[in-house]
Amino acid sequence: METVFWLSFIFIVYVYFGYPALLGMLRMLAGRPVRKAYYEPTVSIVIAAHNERERIEKKLLNCLALDYPKRKLQIIIGLDGPTDGTEFVVWKYAKQGIEMSHSHEHHGKSSTLNRAMRRATGEIVVFADVRQTFDPAAIRELTANFADPQVGAASGELILMDESRGEAKSDVGLYWRYEKALRAMESRIHSVAGATGAIYAIRRELYQELPEETLIDDVMIPMRVVLAGKRTIFDPQAKAYDAVACCPLAEYGRKVRTLAGNYQLLTQLPQLLLPWRNPIFVQFISHKVGRLLVPYALITLLISNAFILHGIYALFFSLQSAWYIFATAGYVFSKRDVTAPVLIADESRRAA
Amino acid sequence: MKRMLSLPYTFVLMNWAAVAGLYYFVTGKKDIWLSKKSAHKHNY
Repeated sequence: METVFWLSFIFIVYVYFGYPALLGMLRMLAGRPVRKAYYEPTVSIVIAAHNERERIEKKLLNCLALDYPKRKLQIIIGLDGPTDGTEFVVWKYAKQGIEMSHSHEHHGKSSTLNRAMRRATGEIVVFADVRQTFDPAAIRELTANFADPQVGAASGELILMDESRGEAKSDVGLYWRYEKALRAMESRIHSVAGATGAIYAIRRELYQELPEETLIDDVMIPMRVVLAGKRTIFDPQAKAYDAVACCPLAEYGRKVRTLAGNYQLLTQLPQLLLPWRNPIFVQFISHKVGRLLVPYALITLLISNAFILHGIYALFFSLQSAWYIFATAGYVFSKRDVTAPVLIADESRRAA
Repeated sequence: MKRMLSLPYTFVLMNWAAVAGLYYFVTGKKDIWLSKKSAHKHNY
């Protein structure tokens, strides 16, 4: 039991602390800065959308206001069987150069991206989601990375904002900042093990059609670039903005999808698990696979600790118990926070 | 106090998401993909 306990403990500490420390050392010893230079390649922005009538106009206006020459910018909205009239909003902007790749049937995001990519003509393709907003200089910053011939894909930085219009300080925001620090170090050494779906770019010739029902195109596409021998880098100068999730439970749904996608990725690109095929094998295993396995290590840590309660292990067990009691209390408080406004609204309606 | 509870809650929830992710992947459920309930659903 002691062996199980210590193996679990070391594994968890490695994933959250040891791996970042290792990256910090490797960055100093073997850092490879990107030779970024500003130029103006032709760019296609590809955005997949399903039912986005309420948000798409803001995104279109955001894209049209980018600091990039209009004659070098192609904007393609891939519509995947919308039923709320999203297509009518997009049509309004056709005269301003917005192109639409419209499927009347709902096929999924990967099919939508594949279809939209057949229209793309830019040397560089930028992928984005509808919800987030680009910084005006985002495309210029992102494309500058492709002046380095080793760069095949570039991910921008997603900044989560809270209600004070500053970068979010909540725990979800804290987690995201930790994640970005890891990506910055990984990028400096070779490549990041995935991009930010809200803003990432790729050389068009490196795009391969996505298998249907791919859950995380923003990991699949960059990892294919890495397997093709190019770098996928992270550039914090290319910014996109989004509102931070109101509460951890709201972030949970997105996280489940992402992690389900990571499992799917291992079946779609099994060569990622081969050190002689994957140039960022250590990063991929430590970052992506490690995160998938940590929950099970947490369980074995708790269970093995329950069987050994002498000496230092008693302290460990107390700390673990306190941690999970606090987590349960946090859940209860979080539920109260979410339900409170609903109760007030019901009360006011009743009063009216 | 709230922050003290929120940190372990977020940590446990995000780790639980990996277990739920495996469940959704193995059972082939696609409803996480088009969830309308999540306030922060994937905006696709």
